[in-house]
Amino acid sequence: MLIEVGKKNELLPGGMKVVEASGKEIVLCNYEGKIFAIDRRCGHMNAPLEKGTLEGYIVTCPMHNAQFDLTTGEVLSDPILRPRPSDFMRWFGMLMANIKTHNIKTYPVKIDGETIKVEI
Amino acid sequence: MNIESRKKALKFLYQRVVDPLGYKFSPDEDLVDFLLEQEVKLEQKHGIPFCPCQGLSKDREENMRIVCPCIPFHREHFDAMKRCWCGLFVHKDVTNPDELKQISVHEIKK
Repeated sequence: MLIEVGKKNELLPGGMKVVEASGKEIVLCNYEGKIFAIDRRCGHMNAPLEKGTLEGYIVTCPMHNAQFDLTTGEVLSDPILRPRPSDFMRWFGMLMANIKTHNIKTYPVKIDGETIKVEI
Repeated sequence: MNIESRKKALKFLYQRVVDPLGYKFSPDEDLVDFLLEQEVKLEQKHGIPFCPCQGLSKDREENMRIVCPCIPFHREHFDAMKRCWCGLFVHKDVTNPDELKQISVHEIKK
C-alpha cells in the first residue's frame, strides 16, 4: 500500500525528516537528491535516528553512534561505548555493548511528481 | 556487522576528510584493502579505528592523535613523505606509491 508522506521540496539533500504512515514511524532521508525511507528506531536501543547525522548514505545514531546504510538498512558499525570514569558506568557500557544491533527496515519510496509516497 | 560493508563505509567517510587536505587513497588497492581491514578489527576491539601501523600507548590524548585519518596531527611529517605513515593515503599527485619511503619524524625535523 502506497501512502503519501510528504513533498519532495520539504527535504534538502543531506536532510532527514520524521513522518508517520499507518502507525509506523519512518525517517525520510535525502541522499544526493534521491529519497530513502528507513525505520525511525535504531536497531540497537531504539533511539530516534533523525536526531543523529546523515553523511552520504550513512546514518549515525545519536545515542551510541551505531551506523546504518540507508539504502539497505544494514548495520555498518556497532555502537561505540566510550570508557566512563566510574566502575558503574563501565559496567553499564559493557552491558549495552552486549545488546545486539539489528539491521533496520527500509521502505520502497515512489516519487509522484513532487509527492513522496512510501510502500508500507 | 559485515567487515566488507564497514570497509566500504570507512573508505567513504575518510574520502571526505582527506580530499580537502590534498590527499587521496593509495593507488595500491591491495594495500588499501588490507589496511582498512586492520582498522575495522581495531575498531571492533577498541571502538575507534586507530592507525594500524602505530602503537597504542596508555595515554588517551596520545592515542587520539593516531585515529585514522591522522593526517592533521602529523601534517608536517606526512607532507614531507607525501604519504601517511601506513601509506593508506598519499598526496594527490602521487602515481607510484612504491617510490615513497617511510622517514622518521626525527630525521625530518633535523
